[in-house]
Amino acid sequence: MALHDTACVGYAETKIVEKSDRDVWELGAEILETLLDKTGFEKGEIDGLILSSAMTGAGNCFWSQTTADQLALEVDHCQTVDIGGCSPLGALARAAAAIDAGLCNTVLCLYADTQATENNQRMRSFHNEWTAPFGYIGPPAAFGLLSRRYEHQFGLDYASLGKLAVAQRGHAILNELAVEKFRKPISVDDYLNSRMIADPVRLLDSVMVCDGASGLLVTGRKAAEKKGLSKIVVPIGYGERTNYRAGEAIVDVTESGHYVAGQRAFAQSGLKPTDIASFHPYDDFIIAIMLQLEMLGFCKRGQGCDFINEHDFTHSGDFPLNTGGGQISAGQCGLAGGGTNLVEAVRQLLGEGGKRQVKNTKNALVTGIGGIPYGRNWSSSVVMILTPNA
Amino acid sequence: MTPLNDTLSILREPPRPRSFSKAYWDATREKRLIVQYDKRSGKYQFFPRATSIYDGHRDLDWREVSGKGEVFSYTIAYRARPPFQGHEPFVIGLVTLDEGVNVMANIGHCGRDRLKIGLRVKPLWAPLANGTHLLMFEPD
Repeated sequence: MALHDTACVGYAETKIVEKSDRDVWELGAEILETLLDKTGFEKGEIDGLILSSAMTGAGNCFWSQTTADQLALEVDHCQTVDIGGCSPLGALARAAAAIDAGLCNTVLCLYADTQATENNQRMRSFHNEWTAPFGYIGPPAAFGLLSRRYEHQFGLDYASLGKLAVAQRGHAILNELAVEKFRKPISVDDYLNSRMIADPVRLLDSVMVCDGASGLLVTGRKAAEKKGLSKIVVPIGYGERTNYRAGEAIVDVTESGHYVAGQRAFAQSGLKPTDIASFHPYDDFIIAIMLQLEMLGFCKRGQGCDFINEHDFTHSGDFPLNTGGGQISAGQCGLAGGGTNLVEAVRQLLGEGGKRQVKNTKNALVTGIGGIPYGRNWSSSVVMILTPNA
Repeated sequence: MTPLNDTLSILREPPRPRSFSKAYWDATREKRLIVQYDKRSGKYQFFPRATSIYDGHRDLDWREVSGKGEVFSYTIAYRARPPFQGHEPFVIGLVTLDEGVNVMANIGHCGRDRLKIGLRVKPLWAPLANGTHLLMFEPD
């Protein structure tokens, strides 16, 4: 099987900043150099480059080639993954597939974006005709509609959501790479009293777009063993779904493609929700974390708040959540932001979490959310389960 | 609390129709709402697409509908970009038409006390500079 023959032999991450004075390729170069230094690989051994999407690169339909050129990488496999916030996990899955298919041997998965400083996106979708005329600003409004609907169907205790926000903020304080603005504590009251953006979505529900980069060096397990690299992380289950229930005019927005992506990832890994040691879900809005808890079977649908009230989400608790702060408290590196929680999971599995190290490093579950469609929740859902070398 | 803005005074750019949505926008010149209908599945779809979301075939009819329906969900926007900036708060609703499609639009002429999921609504047509109209909703 392809996936678990893959080894993440190194991870790297830059400081996340509100506005970068360094170019996106300078951030990319930092990731490349860090990975080479940490793993002992030579640049010439990297024969694959897979990028996440990047708002900075969005005006350039030659993004992966141009980036390969800038970093002087000569590769046999070169691509950008364009499933939004799912792209970093999608890139790792595609790296595994490419290595398994013999297209290349060692892939740099590079997640770099400077959206806050340089957003080159020009959207071609439903927006111009069907949402922009109503003052719809995209994600906050979409999550406002979703939250109100969830509240109608199941009831919603906003203090429970606040508990997640507080736990993640506590982790950002322990994460030196998190954006400095958020490295101070918040309380549930701070969350509840933060100003409304798209009622019922509050400021402290929402990510702040930042600049930054992360990345992984990925090769075959056998190749890693030959190099004597024993500290590796292995993906053992992956599921991906884009356009969940595409053939239905009205969908239940409290249900997402994570339901099917999660089932696939769990089946492939042989694990079940109660086996998961730490949880690193994509967090663009706090309620997305709760919905994913439900979709992945950690609790039943509509019971997310109860689950939240019953568990301790801090790194030392019984259900460690986004131990680097998540994107909401560490800052969202544009479309590369999905790399932040992924790299944190890899760091934890290697036992390099420092002051925020989780106790149980048997495995970690990481997710992605990508794209905001019309009248639904999100376009792409991905789920990956990883283990350390076992 | 600041009253909800009905957004009717906001000057919006007329949208740029696509080859497969032009009929929709043309009909709005007469404040007529037409929705794509797939006669093979007997179902409607919105927004207009170049293909049936049900079976991938392109043979779709346009059917005129009343535009009546009920609120599926709503959010109150407190932050907006131009030309909506400065006109907050206003309501963005998702409305289930009686024909079984969800349509996003502003909901006007509706106070906070009336606004709720399940509220019956009817079309409120906002004129655009090019003679077409924008479908919005108000309480029925």
